[in-house]
Amino acid sequence: MKFKKVAALMMAAVMVASFAAACGKGEDAPVASGNEVVEDSEGGNAEPSEYPEDEIIDFTMFAAMPGSEINEGNEIQEIIAKKTGVRVKETWLTGQTAAEAVGTIIAGGDLPDFIDGGDGMMQLYENDCLVAWDEYIEKYPNIKEMYTDAEWEMFRQEDGHIYWANVFQNSYGENRATGHNDEAFWIQVKVLEWDNYPKIETMDQYFDLLERYYAANPTMEDGTEHIPYTILCEDWRYFCLENAGQFLAGYPNDGSVIVNKQTLKIEDYNTSDTTYKYFKKLNEEYQKGMIDKEFATQTYDEYIAKLSTGRVLGMVDQWWDFAFTVNDVFKQQGLDLKGANYVPLGLTIEPGMENRWHTYGDTVNNSSGVGVTTSCEDPDRAFQFLNDVLDQEIHDLRFWGVEGVDYLIDEEGLYYRTEEMRTKAADDAYQASHLCTYSYLPQWGGTSKDGKNAMQPQEQKSEFFVGLADPLKKCFEAYGADSYPDMIGSVVEENAVWFPMYSHSNAMTTDTPGGVAWTKMGEVKHEWLPKVVMDKDFDKTWDAYMVKYNECKPEDFLAEMQTELERRIAMAEEAAK
Amino acid sequence: MSQDKSTAMLGGKAKKPKKYKKPSGEIKTPFSWREFRKQWFLMLCSAIFVAYGVLFYYVPILGWAMAFQNYKPKTGIFGSKFVFLDKFVFLFSDDTFINVLRNTLAMGVLNLVTTFIAAIVFAILLNEVKSTLGKKSVQTISYLPHFLSWIIVTGILHDALSNSGIVNELLMTFKIIDSPINFFAHKSFFWPIVAFSNVWKETGWNAIIYLAAITSIDPCLYEAASIDGAGRFNKMWYITLPSLKPTIMILLLMNVGNVLNAGFEVQYLLGNGLIKSVSDTIDIYVLTWGVSQGDYSLGTAAGIFKSAVSIILIFIANYAAKKMGEERLF
Repeated sequence: MKFKKVAALMMAAVMVASFAAACGKGEDAPVASGNEVVEDSEGGNAEPSEYPEDEIIDFTMFAAMPGSEINEGNEIQEIIAKKTGVRVKETWLTGQTAAEAVGTIIAGGDLPDFIDGGDGMMQLYENDCLVAWDEYIEKYPNIKEMYTDAEWEMFRQEDGHIYWANVFQNSYGENRATGHNDEAFWIQVKVLEWDNYPKIETMDQYFDLLERYYAANPTMEDGTEHIPYTILCEDWRYFCLENAGQFLAGYPNDGSVIVNKQTLKIEDYNTSDTTYKYFKKLNEEYQKGMIDKEFATQTYDEYIAKLSTGRVLGMVDQWWDFAFTVNDVFKQQGLDLKGANYVPLGLTIEPGMENRWHTYGDTVNNSSGVGVTTSCEDPDRAFQFLNDVLDQEIHDLRFWGVEGVDYLIDEEGLYYRTEEMRTKAADDAYQASHLCTYSYLPQWGGTSKDGKNAMQPQEQKSEFFVGLADPLKKCFEAYGADSYPDMIGSVVEENAVWFPMYSHSNAMTTDTPGGVAWTKMGEVKHEWLPKVVMDKDFDKTWDAYMVKYNECKPEDFLAEMQTELERRIAMAEEAAK
Repeated sequence: MSQDKSTAMLGGKAKKPKKYKKPSGEIKTPFSWREFRKQWFLMLCSAIFVAYGVLFYYVPILGWAMAFQNYKPKTGIFGSKFVFLDKFVFLFSDDTFINVLRNTLAMGVLNLVTTFIAAIVFAILLNEVKSTLGKKSVQTISYLPHFLSWIIVTGILHDALSNSGIVNELLMTFKIIDSPINFFAHKSFFWPIVAFSNVWKETGWNAIIYLAAITSIDPCLYEAASIDGAGRFNKMWYITLPSLKPTIMILLLMNVGNVLNAGFEVQYLLGNGLIKSVSDTIDIYVLTWGVSQGDYSLGTAAGIFKSAVSIILIFIANYAAKKMGEERLF
């Protein structure tokens, strides 16, 4: 899969290069096609400012996330370049962890103009690699508008400046989330349909259903064997195995710890009773052969390839970690019509408990985001571009595409897409040659500035339901849900002032004892959690794991988290005054 | 890498194994400017290499200062706080480090022994092949894997050893096992897998030097042995192998210093969370702490330790060779 993609990209690059060489003036070629489209879409915005090719600045960007590079001369990228005068070449993480990649960039001094360092953001700050945003926030209204003053305050570092802004989970106007962009126990629609859409509340019911379905349908239609349940546990993505304990106990995604709301104390879910039961259940299912034998050693690519075949019935994961790639493949292969799509279930350890798998509203994750680096020669222009990409016109180009080509507008001004457009948008060749979302640059969710449409197509209510494959639609109807959050049925409540605590643990470095403990705990869990699932003698292995775990001094880590919790509560009280 | 270097250096030596006695008393040649001027061109040539050596091998050693500081790129070598041996203390009190040290040594020794023996055996056996065409083609094919990068080798291994890979399929077909073995989930398989991949990749390449050495063995020896009634096996045992001894000793000495370079790519690419405790090597430890966690000082300390141990190993091996009256490096 990956290799093919890379090969295709390289071929494309070679083609473009040879094309450019052949016609001497390489610049003319890709732009020409962009030009025509621009004329089509000339709507209300009558700004004449089109940048000629020689004035367009090329910036580079690195995002510490795996992604696919778009083709050189990508059509929408060229349109945006003409309108804003900036073209950004994005590169992504390949085969390394975020921290390694960022560490290498810092050590080598080879910084791109824009960077989203993921876990490595703090390292970039500590090494003075980033340009402070403060003056630019005041200068550029679209940037300022991204967050309220109190929210911007959260991004302020110890030295009193702001160096990055998180681009995700930020809604303009009314929140329109139709998706469950969070973690869940996912299950294929066909399994639910087979059992006539039962009510699934606990892990026991979940695995019971998987067992019965697997016994009745050991293979797919084409003879490929089903995998009832798989677990991804490669590198930082091992949250798929690691943190379900907090949700099963009914807590929200604080990520690294749970916060007891009564006592306002940090608690460790790793050692909790619920987590113990969760792993015991996984172990039991593994012994029954219900869990993918290869789960402990599979890489992310292998995992995605496995899901893409439609043979995996269920797993725990975050929506953003699998759905974009996998759903596109399902659509291309027609597997969505056979009920291969996943729906989230809000499981808890006991029946009848409240669940908080879904995070309503925006989450300000201040631990990472996009920053401009000190090696950017023209930071002002860079910030101007960050401002420009939030312009509604450019924002529509990024997420909806070109009007008339990628979406249409009805009499009421609502955007919609035809089935053909939807299929095209899911095609990776088309995504590489035509679409350019600049997905790690500032962006909005929620309602468009025209007050009617959604900022991003997947949040457009009408578009959402029409776009669902039939089996999914039937499933939603059977459960009386009209969106994914409805489906998972989490308690609707406001996020606590300290939420999410993971933004602190993500930013920890080994300079503090808590940070050292956090790193070591991670190492121990990486090794022992798969073992706990696989070992024949569960209790003995669990005890051995607990001994190793306690040797890491988790109390150092928890103490630092407690301090941070108290700091956040105090800060919120301060702000409320 | 270092193996390539040693082969290149020894290529000439092996062909004409000159046995000369080292003069017992040092002969001192007094330095004279006249001599120096006469050889100005040679001096110039060597100066370039001396400069190269100083620049690329000795100047970087200044970076070792980092190990004794709490180094931050922001403050630099001159501005960072000195912490003296703190980083080393942390290193040796860290169980993980002791663990990676064990892994590195174990895999290093295992790799050294297996690749070494495999190359010698392969070279001797290949030498016995009479058909020139067969010999040449086997030799060419066998050293090709050397040119594959580790990422490809590990990719092949990963596929071959996966649940639906060729190894499991074969074992199942011959009814040796009932259900596929997940090779990468068992600690006990990891070191042999690494050793095997090294053998597969390097045997052909390493054998070249032995084959070259074998061609320089005086054919009279074989003839004489034949007349004395020695068979093929005896000739291998009593003539080929002893003639190879100097080459073997030198190569062994050079490689002993490399034991701690047990590898980075293989372990990094094949390892996973489950078998981390046997797969991580010092190099991976340096990467995680030095680069990912940004603790350059700790990474440097680990690196210094590695170099120091390597140097000690070379001295020990050299001393042992000297005691046994064998060929040695210095």
